Amino acid sequence: MKQAIIQFRGVNKWFGPLHVLNDVDLSVRAGEVLVICGPSGSGKSTLIRCINKLELIQKGEIVVDGMALSDPATDITKLRAEVGMVFQQFNLYPHMNVLQNITLALVKVRKQSREEAERIARDLLVKVGIPEKAAQYPAQLSGGQQQRVAIARALAMQPKIMLFDEPTSALDPEMINEVLDVMVSLAKEGMTMIVVTHEMGFARKVSHRIIFMDEGRIVEEGEPQAFFANPKEERTRTFLSKILVH
Amino acid sequence: MTFSWAAIWQGLPYLFQGAALTIFISLTAMLLGVILGVLIALLSEVPSRGIRILIRAYVEIFRNTPLLIQIFIVYFGLPQLGLKLSPFFSGLSALTLYTAAYNVEIFRAGLEAVPKGQHEAARSTGLTPLQAAVFVIIPQALRVSFPALGNNLVSLLKNSSLVSTIGMVELMFVANDISFNNFRSFEIYGATAVLYVLLVLALTWTLSTIERRLLLKSGR
Repeated sequence: MKQAIIQFRGVNKWFGPLHVLNDVDLSVRAGEVLVICGPSGSGKSTLIRCINKLELIQKGEIVVDGMALSDPATDITKLRAEVGMVFQQFNLYPHMNVLQNITLALVKVRKQSREEAERIARDLLVKVGIPEKAAQYPAQLSGGQQQRVAIARALAMQPKIMLFDEPTSALDPEMINEVLDVMVSLAKEGMTMIVVTHEMGFARKVSHRIIFMDEGRIVEEGEPQAFFANPKEERTRTFLSKILVH
Repeated sequence: MTFSWAAIWQGLPYLFQGAALTIFISLTAMLLGVILGVLIALLSEVPSRGIRILIRAYVEIFRNTPLLIQIFIVYFGLPQLGLKLSPFFSGLSALTLYTAAYNVEIFRAGLEAVPKGQHEAARSTGLTPLQAAVFVIIPQALRVSFPALGNNLVSLLKNSSLVSTIGMVELMFVANDISFNNFRSFEIYGATAVLYVLLVLALTWTLSTIERRLLLKSGR
């Protein structure tokens, strides 16, 4: 049984009166692919954003890669270099071309030379399937291409954990698969991945565990087979019936 | 009285010299005003409430009073408090403080226009707050701010004419000097206005070249 690389213990978060994370306990092993699903407002995005401290919690403990997030000795900037994040809105830097987007952190954080950083970036662009786009700017790419650049940008730092916050939700349907394919191959390589998504096909294919959240709580979790075939909770069943129809 | 081209012809060498000084004081005030504006805009993001109130007071005072009064207070008023500056330095200080106050608001708007996702993406790759600001946020803020900043600099060029009132020799001062002596007001002030137009056109041309070459490289 591998060590837990991420641990949530009794995590609670409020946005004013709204209880967005309600006594969340979670343990993620290294190499695990975890899918989090749930209705809008269930707290799933907030949950993963707590992992790299883009969101702060009011109660409970989060430990990532052996470091407690609330510990003042924990250097959050250094920790974030080990946790890659892919956003729903891509968030590529518009004033830099594709190659520069990927190499920026490599040069400034990992202190790589420009040549070495560009070599790594180009290899990653091959891996995500768009090596010819290196000199182009984000505005010239389609959504699917931008998201693949965003994945390459996160992977360039060789993180231990990759977080995906609804990576395909802002994409036109015909581009969703090109992004999911990259994520599937990443999962098969053994990357620890936490993916907030509605793409249940992806979940079925590569996830080790699926979590259903509602109103800030983890309602149900289980292996994909069991989860889809025999959801135990009523709320899970209702949710699945709504999203698996089309 | 008839229109005298000769009056213009005779005055031009002096007007050109005045224009050179106008360019000099304007460019200096622009540079200092941009630097000061950026520093104060960044400073206004600090948690300290005291500092933010001071900055707000500075911006409100200098944007809500006429530049002429500011020039007079610096040149005529400060000596009473013990600080006596030459016409040049008085004019430069007033122009700089005036323009920086507007720049602060321009830069703050620019910073605010950068989407929150940019901060998040930059920090999530392990960039420090300073690195994120320098490489990701500020370049984008500058691109957004540039048109408004350009307008402000053009205003500065035209406003520099006010320092003639405290005896600094620049284009307006020279124009006054000549026309008070030869009474050819229409010709001299007309020629001066044309010179200002040329200076403004040169400035706006420079600004759009900067914008095109340095800032708009986004493949569009």
